[in-house]
Amino acid sequence: MKHFLKATVLAVSASMMAASVALAAYPEKEIQMLVGFSAGGGTDVMARTVAPFVEKYLGNGAKIVIKNIPGAGGRIAVTAVAEAAPDGYTLGTYNLPGVMARTIDGSSVKYTADSFTFLANMVNDPNVIVTGKNTGIDTLAKLLDKAKKEPGALTVGMAALSGDDRFALTTLENATGTKFNVVPFKGTAPTRSAVMGGHVPVAVMNVSEVTSFRNEFNVLGVTSTNRSAFAPDIPTLKEQGANVINGSLRGFVGPKGMPAEIAAKLISAFKKAYDDPKLQEAMKASGNVTEWTAGDDFKALNAEQLQRAKDVFKATPWK
Amino acid sequence: MYGELLDALPGVLQWANLAAVVVGVISGIVVGALPGLSATMAISVLIPFTFTLSPLVALGMMAGIYNGAMYGGAIPAVLLRIPGTPAAVATTFDGYPMAQSGRGGYALQVAVVSSALGGIASAFSLMLLAPPLAKLTLLFGPAEVFWTAVFGLSSIVFLLGGSPVKGLVSAAGGVLFSLVGTDGITGYDRFVYDQTELLDGIHIVVLLVGLYALPPVIDLLESPEAADASATQNLGTQSLWKSLPSMFRFWKTWLRGSVIGILIGILPGAGGSMAAFISYNEAKRASRNQDAFGQGEPEGVAAAEIANNADTAAAMIPALTLGIPGTAVAAVMLGGLLIHGMQPGPMLFREHPDIVFGFMWQFLFGAILLIFLGGSLATNSFAKVLRLPRPLLGAIIAALMVIGVYAIHGRMYDVYLMLGFGAIGYAMDKLKFPLPPMVLGLILGDFAESNLRLALRISRGDWTILWANTTSQIIFALTLGVVFGPAIMRRLRRPSAGAQANDKQA
Repeated sequence: MKHFLKATVLAVSASMMAASVALAAYPEKEIQMLVGFSAGGGTDVMARTVAPFVEKYLGNGAKIVIKNIPGAGGRIAVTAVAEAAPDGYTLGTYNLPGVMARTIDGSSVKYTADSFTFLANMVNDPNVIVTGKNTGIDTLAKLLDKAKKEPGALTVGMAALSGDDRFALTTLENATGTKFNVVPFKGTAPTRSAVMGGHVPVAVMNVSEVTSFRNEFNVLGVTSTNRSAFAPDIPTLKEQGANVINGSLRGFVGPKGMPAEIAAKLISAFKKAYDDPKLQEAMKASGNVTEWTAGDDFKALNAEQLQRAKDVFKATPWK
Repeated sequence: MYGELLDALPGVLQWANLAAVVVGVISGIVVGALPGLSATMAISVLIPFTFTLSPLVALGMMAGIYNGAMYGGAIPAVLLRIPGTPAAVATTFDGYPMAQSGRGGYALQVAVVSSALGGIASAFSLMLLAPPLAKLTLLFGPAEVFWTAVFGLSSIVFLLGGSPVKGLVSAAGGVLFSLVGTDGITGYDRFVYDQTELLDGIHIVVLLVGLYALPPVIDLLESPEAADASATQNLGTQSLWKSLPSMFRFWKTWLRGSVIGILIGILPGAGGSMAAFISYNEAKRASRNQDAFGQGEPEGVAAAEIANNADTAAAMIPALTLGIPGTAVAAVMLGGLLIHGMQPGPMLFREHPDIVFGFMWQFLFGAILLIFLGGSLATNSFAKVLRLPRPLLGAIIAALMVIGVYAIHGRMYDVYLMLGFGAIGYAMDKLKFPLPPMVLGLILGDFAESNLRLALRISRGDWTILWANTTSQIIFALTLGVVFGPAIMRRLRRPSAGAQANDKQA
């Protein structure tokens, strides 16, 4: 027994030493950053924009290698992150609400909300409601009015049934007692063209996706707490009386059980990167609307998004 | 706008930016010529590196690769009946018979000239007509796109010749394969059987390589001593400039193919293979000696190759102005633009005129360079591979196929899938089932299905939305013409059998 205790103490202290040595030296080999989408997509561009700044602020000659594992809407890469060794050498990009929505809709996923160490969420791209130029609907009030007269008749295009666009619309429906006919195009670009071509009257997308198309349709409102720095002339839904706060989130996570010191070191490097004006400028150019949430706050944000996904799925299942 | 076009020219003429186009065209030809490697793949590989390159170097290389690969795909299509890219399927129809009768060199020259002209026409459409053509794209909502897909499938089934029933079976097989994977609207997994590798569906290159490359390889090995050496030794290597005048008679086909390629290019999703098929069909229908098509008619090669290059730059029109890429390659290139902080949309032309217009010039230069680089590269080096002993050639192609298919997602699963399609392709080949409808079925099946469902969701289940506007009605009428036209023509001609015989001889 004594021997056992002694051995345990030795082992524990040895591992603690190893941990602190690891911390002092971290990162001592290259860090893999798994991205669930092909090179050149929005999430990939975010990762590639942020990585060099994080390398710089981690010091130690840190090297981050971006590895694209596209497929199944990012599911394959996120699963790989969840199943990786929590040593700080495998990180991944993380998209909300998508990653959490998959855990509750019966998709075959091998991770849960507890499978990750939440590091930093850097992007919160709020939703906007837009209408075609010749629909005659140019304010939120007119839209809601029309929806109330004929429940379910007004068609709303969006990128997918289970994404942030849908969550924004469902929240609006619940807040205002309205009902819309939802049409999921594959992605935002075809949705946007369908509104411009008059094939659907209304669409929900993200604010970054309308900035280059401002004059092509009416933008009724944005679902952020305050007006977006991206387009300060768009009023919020909140100031028009509909309390809808929603968006597409992009951040960085690691597998659960990462040593606290390494997580803290990473979060601090992400924060310094976030505060770098050069990074902010690069993010804006690539259409990434920044907002900072890290560590436990990020975890709470994830829980909130999971709850919203459950609520929406319960009311209007997409599968 | 045209002033800005000229302003962008000096930037493009810097040597680094020009060199990028040259390197792009050469590597594009090589990639396109290797079965299993495609332009999409080459550009995807390039994307991460472009992060550190200057925008015009990166984009110039991409434009070059795109143009080069669309022609490169014709080389194995002509010499081996293996299309190097999906868009080169129609090139095999007449290119391979030409090579067998000792005119392979001429077929490649027709291909390179047609490709270059198609690319030039396409680049001009992008430079001069982007805004009006983008408006045309907007006319195509889900109902219109659905009819376009049905039109494409009908043309390939009913106009290709041979038995429409066999064509229909083959197309239906392709549509069936297109159903595999996650349902784009509800997210249900269909025909996946718990294989995560199938969640994203079957990649077109996996099917294409299996169907098209494996049967010829087996053929090569079945008769290792085959005596068609005469065909391969003698490529007919007359200089390009000498054979050029004989091509001028294709001018109508070139004109028609360019327009078809550009129009298909601006429609999201269809791409070069559909453009090439339709152009080929139209050239055949317009021709006075239809029976020569499929037997080694150079005009067939010209029709296919002009159209698959004419959709390159045109596919960038909806990509740049609306953010919807016309082809898979354009989708990857859009990623390349995004990396350099260029968001597609009407503002793009105002915010980054030097780069956007420079990119257009690079498309034009890439197309022109094709004549100089493609002509000699193909006839002098690639054609020589045919002099290799047949077992060696078969083994090299088989190795390339496996590497190319493995490289798509980096997994063996796709290789096994490809071998399975190879078995299907071999059986179809022996039973005289046409292969092209299956390829187009896979591409257009998903396209037709998702757009039909979108249209019906918009109309809340009312089927009349499919006939609701003029654009739909026109494409629907064209489809009816394609399906019933040949049968009606036969019936009209039946009373005078003599007239029919005359037609054949004419």
